[in-house]
Amino acid sequence: MNTIMMLLITFPLVFFLSLLFEGVDRKIHARMQKRIGPPIIQPFYDFIKLFSKERIVPVTASSRIFTAVPMIAAAASIVGAAIPIASLILEIGIGGDLILILYLLTMSSVMVMIGGSSSGNPYGAVGFSRKMTMLIAYDVPMLISILSVSFNCLSLAYYNIVSTQVGMKSLLAFARPSMAVAAATFLLCIPAAADAVPFDISEAKTEIIHGSMVEYGGPYLALVKLAKAASNFGLTFLATTLFFYFPALLEGYASVGLGALCLCLVPALILLLLTITVPRTVFARLKIGQAFKFYWLSPLALSIISVALSTLGF
Amino acid sequence: MANRFDKTKEVKVDYTRFVVPFGPVHPALKEPISLKVTIRKEEILNVDIRLGHVHRGIEALAENRNLVQTLYLVERICGICSHSHTTCFIQALEEIGEIIPSERALYLRTLIFELERMHSHLFLLGIMAYEVGFDTLFMFAWHVRETVLDLFEEITGNRIHHSMNAIGGVRWDLPPNLAEKVNDSLKKIEKSVKYIQEVFQDKTVEKRLCGVGVLSFNEAHELCVVGPTARGSGVNMDIRRDRPYAAYDELKENFSVVLRDSADAYARTEVRTFELLESINLIRTILDKLPNGPISKEESILKLMKKIPEGETVSTVEAPRGELLYFVKTNGKEGLWRLKVRTPTIPNVLGLKPMLIGSEIADIPVTVASIDPCMACANRITVVDQDKGEKKVVNCENLRRRGKKQ
Repeated sequence: MNTIMMLLITFPLVFFLSLLFEGVDRKIHARMQKRIGPPIIQPFYDFIKLFSKERIVPVTASSRIFTAVPMIAAAASIVGAAIPIASLILEIGIGGDLILILYLLTMSSVMVMIGGSSSGNPYGAVGFSRKMTMLIAYDVPMLISILSVSFNCLSLAYYNIVSTQVGMKSLLAFARPSMAVAAATFLLCIPAAADAVPFDISEAKTEIIHGSMVEYGGPYLALVKLAKAASNFGLTFLATTLFFYFPALLEGYASVGLGALCLCLVPALILLLLTITVPRTVFARLKIGQAFKFYWLSPLALSIISVALSTLGF
Repeated sequence: MANRFDKTKEVKVDYTRFVVPFGPVHPALKEPISLKVTIRKEEILNVDIRLGHVHRGIEALAENRNLVQTLYLVERICGICSHSHTTCFIQALEEIGEIIPSERALYLRTLIFELERMHSHLFLLGIMAYEVGFDTLFMFAWHVRETVLDLFEEITGNRIHHSMNAIGGVRWDLPPNLAEKVNDSLKKIEKSVKYIQEVFQDKTVEKRLCGVGVLSFNEAHELCVVGPTARGSGVNMDIRRDRPYAAYDELKENFSVVLRDSADAYARTEVRTFELLESINLIRTILDKLPNGPISKEESILKLMKKIPEGETVSTVEAPRGELLYFVKTNGKEGLWRLKVRTPTIPNVLGLKPMLIGSEIADIPVTVASIDPCMACANRITVVDQDKGEKKVVNCENLRRRGKKQ
């Protein structure tokens, strides 16, 4: 009974945390630009306001796909972000759930992409092709870095990797050189996965009017935004717990469970600020070719190095 | 005789290329312009430029008003270079009426002119940063621009439409304490401009601007582009030097014309950042040299207006975006026969086609912004009914009839 209650709480928790993280991100982004910025709970206001708006489906859209996609995207990314939290609370590992988490988190952007191309808007189509290219660019190094982690810990279960860190009493990224390289790769891929500024090519506001999201409005837009916020939160939380599981440094009770979850949130927020907020403040948007080149030159090379190192046993 | 139904018509549809409408409403555009861009993947194959979404019939309105009313009307043509428009118009009137404004008035006009150039260039640098997705620089540039706007407010009482010019002089004087304040603000602005210059040399910004929207010297020459767009392509032209007006004749030694050869968006941006520094120097010189004397004629403006005889003339100024040309024909009865405005955007917008063809979609906003378009100048409204596929042009007569009805 207790377990089910815990699971039921996880989903609202992800909803709340992801919107809160987005609010902090927006506030700090504004402060870095000498602006006052919106209140931290602005994403909640936006969400509620958008839900009270009219539902508009364009004439040119294939309406079933167009309307179903935001819901699938939001559901996928919330579940994707909820799995790590639930397995931390319940202290259970299921074999292969790491793949599932990554799949669900990527699912949200794929779904938004499909929704954009089904809208019948040419900008949606351009957004689709750009996002496709970006997916190929960042997903490969990201998956390889996770592969390297599972090589190292000899498990594909999320919880086992966390408990390996607890067993070592050390953070994975600082324990072995191969893992440090894998962590760097994963962190470099987060801005592209989150569509933050140097890599927000697929939804460049001034070029293709938000690309795939161009025709979305009202409740659909609210869901799409929620999906993005949840997947950003999920990715940063995943990166924190996989590579920098700080509770592992503590003794006894605090190293796993609910307390550990709370301890992980602060580093997760810092990681979000470092990988999403700071790049989107200090960089200009790249072109698709430049971004692709960047990802296939450095993160891909880094990820392959990390796999090589971990097979060699470093 | 062959039956005309014998031949089956072959229709070839090229699915690899499609047309993306860029504008009239688009977040990258400050003002409506419509570009129909044919693309294949990311490459631009052809561009069709359409203007005329903000036609307001100002030239026709001017013919129904007296000269002083027209002075305030032409100020409304553009919010950014309002002073350029009034100066250009007032110069034509003064030439026809043989009125010579005092030295101090000319210097004050020049002062406002240079402040306006700074305000316009800072505005554009912000927009440029915004187009390449660099919001922080955009916020910063507009923060600096705010200082210039505050100066405007202190000097003339208005931030955008300064209403500084009057026939035979200017409307507001510059007391010494205000001159000091301008000097103080200039120090701040200079520091910030140098910082902006540095940030524009940042790698990611450079990557987006270098080699984008190239307009070669020959093309620039043929299309008669003007202002920073021409100077970025190495065309050595500046009305301030070539056909001096206001106090520029005496200030010739105090500014240099900024030229760049690389002919891309980066060159145009660089021309503007360096012109900002030139403007700062020029304003300092003006404040030093500012002669004493009256700022306007003793007679009232209405009396002066009545004195202006029938005549016609052409007047040019170097607006922030380039050469602005007015053809003014007065009727000797306080009114105008004809007013023709040729804003710098009209020649510059023609340069967009050679700039865009062969580049990528990602380059469109940057290229369009780099000529600093100001769209408030063109022909007719076209109403398109998408369902029926009809197009009809709404002319001035229809508009007037409709206006009367409501």
